Amino acid sequence: MKQYWVLLGSFGSGKSELVLNLALEKAKEGPCTVVDLDVINPYFRVSERGDVLEPAGVELIMPPFALDKIEILSLSPRVYSAFNPGEGSVFFDIGGDDIGSVALGQYRPRFDAIPRENLHVLFVVNPLRPTAADPESARATLDKIQYVSRMEVNGIVNNANLAGETQVEHLVQGYELVRELSRQTGIPVWGSCGTAPVLESFKQYAARHGLDQAYVGRYQPIEVMMHRSWDKFLKEGL
Amino acid sequence: MAKKLMKGCEAIAEAAIQAGCRYFFGYPITPQNDIPEYMSRRMPQVGGCFLQAESELAAINMVYGAGGAGARAMTSSSSPGISLKQEGISTCAAAEVPCVIVNMMRGGPGLGNIQASQGDYFQAVKGGGHGDYRCVVYAPSSIQETCDLMPRAFDTADKYRTPVIILADGLIGQMMEPVELKMNPNPTMPEKPWACQGWDPKGDRPRAVINSLYIETEVLDDLMTRLNARYDEIRKNEIMVETYKTEGAEFILCAYGTVARVCKAAVRILEEQGIKCGLVRPITLWPFPTQAVHDAIAQESVQGALTVEISNGQMVEDIRLAVNGEKPVEFMGKGGSIIPTAEEIAERVMKIMRRA
Repeated sequence: MKQYWVLLGSFGSGKSELVLNLALEKAKEGPCTVVDLDVINPYFRVSERGDVLEPAGVELIMPPFALDKIEILSLSPRVYSAFNPGEGSVFFDIGGDDIGSVALGQYRPRFDAIPRENLHVLFVVNPLRPTAADPESARATLDKIQYVSRMEVNGIVNNANLAGETQVEHLVQGYELVRELSRQTGIPVWGSCGTAPVLESFKQYAARHGLDQAYVGRYQPIEVMMHRSWDKFLKEGL
Repeated sequence: MAKKLMKGCEAIAEAAIQAGCRYFFGYPITPQNDIPEYMSRRMPQVGGCFLQAESELAAINMVYGAGGAGARAMTSSSSPGISLKQEGISTCAAAEVPCVIVNMMRGGPGLGNIQASQGDYFQAVKGGGHGDYRCVVYAPSSIQETCDLMPRAFDTADKYRTPVIILADGLIGQMMEPVELKMNPNPTMPEKPWACQGWDPKGDRPRAVINSLYIETEVLDDLMTRLNARYDEIRKNEIMVETYKTEGAEFILCAYGTVARVCKAAVRILEEQGIKCGLVRPITLWPFPTQAVHDAIAQESVQGALTVEISNGQMVEDIRLAVNGEKPVEFMGKGGSIIPTAEEIAERVMKIMRRA
């Protein structure tokens, strides 16, 4: 039975990056599809990384407008093929906030037909974004997104990051936020994300300070793929 | 304020608010929609006014009104929308109304595309609208720099009573970077005795008139003389430029905005190849850093220069004027929003230097 992953969250919380990383992981185990349902962003969308997804055997379903440099907010009829019975994993990358989540509403009957244990609806949180800086605003976004997307979130993801300047304290800040959000909503924490070195420091920090594993979840390493090519060279920045 | 991860458009909007902008008038167009969207949420929180105008023309003319009344007013758009605003910008220049206009450049001409471009250099720097006027043009190359430039943009606009353009490419608007915003809950505003804020017949202030129509030739000439004197002051005081590893370099790259960052990466690649390459990055495109560009390229150690743009060659003309034939200046760039990679730029430099 196919496993379905829907990534929701505030605008700029890092959903596309997480989708890329999880899809590449799952593609090693079986068929894998990424559905780009982002109807908001003209740039920096998961479809741009067809160059890493397709060689890894990941099927990419993108809106007809993506990469065509035009704006027609229509979604590909191929999206429905992702709900066909079968094996493997399907990832839905959704535009940010409640506005982006609107794209999901029309697929409600399809999602309803998926057994709960096969449907992972993750809410990605980055407290370094001004729109999700505290539990109250994260909670408000979560409520709005659930309402508009007609989906029930069943996992919270700590994706605290400041792009290339992420430090372990940012993940700790994220931990505190998702713990509070999880306590308030009863939704479990799915995991904590970071680049390998930051994640390793966080792991040590968690052990040293006895962080509650229930609010840390799994450690999900992230390889940054949504970068701009010149970033790789610029040590001193601007 | 601690660093936040912000999208360029959001950061510009917040930085404008922190600089005292309380009036924003706009009309949607990609890739700058996040600016009006952010303003629509934030302006009511700070007692400001966000208004989605019925068109770009209406938006710039609302800016004219608010700016003429002494407020810090701003509008933003992207290339085709900025074309529509040109008449209003010319009017603001003639009526000496300070204002800030953000252009998140996309591909052109015409409707073009929605990817990043630098095709509006001529429009911003050489006029755009009709008549004999100038706009101060800032070309930031990171989101942090954009935020830092916003208060300066408003100050410059007020100081010289002129429209100021922030000329950024779509990437600056759409990418996310860590930024530190300087929060300023009570920004100080300069006195604006010329502004139309209601006239007291018993007071000693003369009537304030905001106008761009000067029928008498001598009267129009007075205005132009005044504006030109002001433009000279701007040339003297407001030039901003970054030079990166230019001293004693064998080769100089010239670029502004996002492309300058790609060029920095190219400098690094060339360094590994044993080539001493530097970069000149104009931050103000008008006034143009003619002297700095000349000094970097005309130095004895330099063999030549390459200007890189996301266009078919616009700033390169000003670079060549600055160098005045003392060294060869080549051009690399494409329309269609194709951004050259650092490797391509390095390769081109090596070809010019006959090292490859």
